[in-house]
Amino acid sequence: MKNLTSWAIIGLTLTFLIGPFIIIIFAGASAGESLAFPPDGLSLRWYLKVFTIESFRQSFVLSMGLAIFGTLAALLLGIPAAYALNRYELPGAETIRTVVASPIIVPGIIVGLALLRYMVIPLDVTVTVALFMAHTALVLPYAVRVVSSSLNNLRSDMEEAAVLLGCTRLQAFTKVVLPNIRGGVLAAFILGFVTSFNQVPVSLFLSGPGVRTLPIDMLAYMEITYDPSVAALSALLAFMSLAIVFIAERLLGFSRYV
Amino acid sequence: MFSNTREGLALALPAAIFALLLFILPVGILLSEAFQSDAGWTLSGYTDFFSKPLNQTVFLRTLKLGVLVAGTAAVIGYAAAFSISNLSPVARGRVFGLVILPLMISPVARTYAWIVILGRTGIVNDALVGLGLAETPIRLLFTETAVFLGLLQLFMPLMIISLLSAMENIPRDVIPAARVLGANWFQVFFRVILPLTKEGLVVGGTLVFTGALTAYITPAILGGSKVLMLETLLYQQVNVSNDFVSASVIAMILIIMSFTANLLLKRIATARK
Amino acid sequence: MSEKYVSLRNLTLSYGKTVAVPNLNLDVVEGELIALLGPSGCGKTTTMRAIAGLLTPTSGTIAIDGRDVTRVAANKRGIGLVFQSYALFPHLSAFENVAFGLRLQKMPETEIRQRTEAGIATVGLAGFEKRKPAEMSGGQQQRLALARSLVMEPKVLLLDEPLSNLDARLRLEMRTELQRVQKKTGVTMVFVTHDQSEALALADRIVLMKDGKIEQLGTPHQLYAEPATAFAAEFMGFENIFRVQGENLVSDFGQLPLGFKATSPMLAWRPSGVQVGQGPLNGRVSASSFAGGHREYVIDTALGQIKADAPIETLEVPLGENIAFDLPKSNARQLSE
Repeated sequence: MKNLTSWAIIGLTLTFLIGPFIIIIFAGASAGESLAFPPDGLSLRWYLKVFTIESFRQSFVLSMGLAIFGTLAALLLGIPAAYALNRYELPGAETIRTVVASPIIVPGIIVGLALLRYMVIPLDVTVTVALFMAHTALVLPYAVRVVSSSLNNLRSDMEEAAVLLGCTRLQAFTKVVLPNIRGGVLAAFILGFVTSFNQVPVSLFLSGPGVRTLPIDMLAYMEITYDPSVAALSALLAFMSLAIVFIAERLLGFSRYV
Repeated sequence: MFSNTREGLALALPAAIFALLLFILPVGILLSEAFQSDAGWTLSGYTDFFSKPLNQTVFLRTLKLGVLVAGTAAVIGYAAAFSISNLSPVARGRVFGLVILPLMISPVARTYAWIVILGRTGIVNDALVGLGLAETPIRLLFTETAVFLGLLQLFMPLMIISLLSAMENIPRDVIPAARVLGANWFQVFFRVILPLTKEGLVVGGTLVFTGALTAYITPAILGGSKVLMLETLLYQQVNVSNDFVSASVIAMILIIMSFTANLLLKRIATARK
Repeated sequence: MSEKYVSLRNLTLSYGKTVAVPNLNLDVVEGELIALLGPSGCGKTTTMRAIAGLLTPTSGTIAIDGRDVTRVAANKRGIGLVFQSYALFPHLSAFENVAFGLRLQKMPETEIRQRTEAGIATVGLAGFEKRKPAEMSGGQQQRLALARSLVMEPKVLLLDEPLSNLDARLRLEMRTELQRVQKKTGVTMVFVTHDQSEALALADRIVLMKDGKIEQLGTPHQLYAEPATAFAAEFMGFENIFRVQGENLVSDFGQLPLGFKATSPMLAWRPSGVQVGQGPLNGRVSASSFAGGHREYVIDTALGQIKADAPIETLEVPLGENIAFDLPKSNARQLSE
């Protein structure tokens, strides 16, 4: 009896959390002209149409590039920082930690606006560069946090052992530390990628002619028409994210890093 | 462990300087804007902002929705997390996967689904008309309820995750022990479960509250200009009225609210160590 | 054979403003197995880390084999260290763990293979080359860590609490193993421990440390039979230690007459050195337990509690009853303060 109540609660909660996603899949598979559920007959036409919309293609490429290179840049900055904060006694370590984590505390829309007004306009930086910087900054806290937590699980006497066997500090890092935090780095990359790809508020003000991230482009498209193509695209993107996360979970138990 | 300070700083500073220059500096300038006028330092930006009834309404609505969403998420979250924690390890892992799955899906997609559900020809209206409960479709989109539902759906996983990890720390058998000692379920919850998961509740509550506060997509899609929240108001002020002073004021309010919530979270999370 | 193979001169070690070891002087003889013994916080681990080069001294010098290495980096000192946690590389196989240091020296592959296999065989792990550390038992991991250090042919091998992570049976086995390896390789070993029985069983010489200073240095027999101070005596199992005042033993609780004239400020008796069943002194049995070959009594006296081991043949005295005993001169150890 108690078990039944448990499952009922879980079932209702999951319906609320995941149900809308299932509805989106079917709404996108409608054969009709307008958004509806249940759909007016099933077809794949909207799923296929998504690929023919030029602006979606452009913004998909931009979002992909931002997510990949922004996250890589964040890892490039974040891994050394996480390592230093973890292994060295630094003056002002707390301040550095707070500064690096600050992008998580400040709402994205403000960051976007601030970069637009004080970087893009006065310094004549292109919107694409500003977007790249913003996405890097946004992912940085995640990179530092996830890498830190896997460094925490790695005893520092392993590095000492490596040094005593003849390694330089750098060799100890590349030969011993890096191979053992690989999982954490990959998890940080995926988390950063998904965060960056799905990000809206930061990119809201940072758009220009022909330069729009995919979620912003979808919002703009929705203002014009409520046809099922946005639903189809949403479903496709969700499948993409899920596939990445699923593979990651299989490879390294991703969920313990979230 | 390593005492070579210069080496450590060389590793840590690039990230810190990057965040400082590209983040703290521009945001700082933006925030300072509301305090400046031709005559020097001023608070008129703030007094002007709060003297407008619309702004007052939006401010209170944002606060109200944040609290409501966090509160509702806590109630449902406790029921869900407790049920999940009682499952077998394998089932628990699977259900946990399903709970965090929505977090990986684009918020645009997740919010868009509510249009299908709540729209004029959506499921709910179809059902209402079909059952004869309403003669014509009623307006469900662009209401506070729609925004509330969207935000709740968006952020509830964060609450469940936080509560679940807190419940893992409840020692085995304390709940049966409390039952044996004569506590009813009500007492078990308030005297045993709640005190032991307080931290998780605070963490989850803060995440959900700040999430709801700073969400843009949900109020934009489901609230539109009828149900403005602070983020959508900020966007409007900039894009429609070019009012950067108001934007700066809203930015400050958002930062103070989410900063306070984060500070509270840190304080309480470390208090018990 | 050098008498001053490892030589620490006026060594001061500190963490920030806390001085852990002030002005230490110590010489290690080539080829010996020496133990740094003491309670946690006595500076033994700090001293070991300084020898390894993982900690830079505030002042003083460290010389190894006649060469001043005080400013030489840890990776250039040629010193091996077996960590308490073993610090094996979890991503590498047993073979690659042992070959790790050799590979850094850009040695030809055949030589690496040969030396690694020999090293693995020395510690009795032949056949385990392909295992990852996580797939090995605690004792095997310990041997692997030992082999990893030994193949580097270090001038000095340091061991941090080498037996503390093993269960009782393995501890005995590893103790013999360490002695065997040391005989075979002749490497100078310095090991750190808080366990006096481990130091007594294993070391050629013991350095007993307290508050960063050497309390006593000697062979196991010297330390066991002739502890010089109350601290050393306590560490070596003298449980009854009292101050002498005139013709009396005194404690915080009271005093008892001493049957002889003492020439030192303190006296100590092992539980086995206390005579039970007869004698001029009297107390009440407050605890009594059977311990195989003898019976352990705790006796309440005017001095406080006295611990005494009685031969099993003596008549058992029930709890709460009076018991006669003696603190004989022949079993007393004279101590300085």
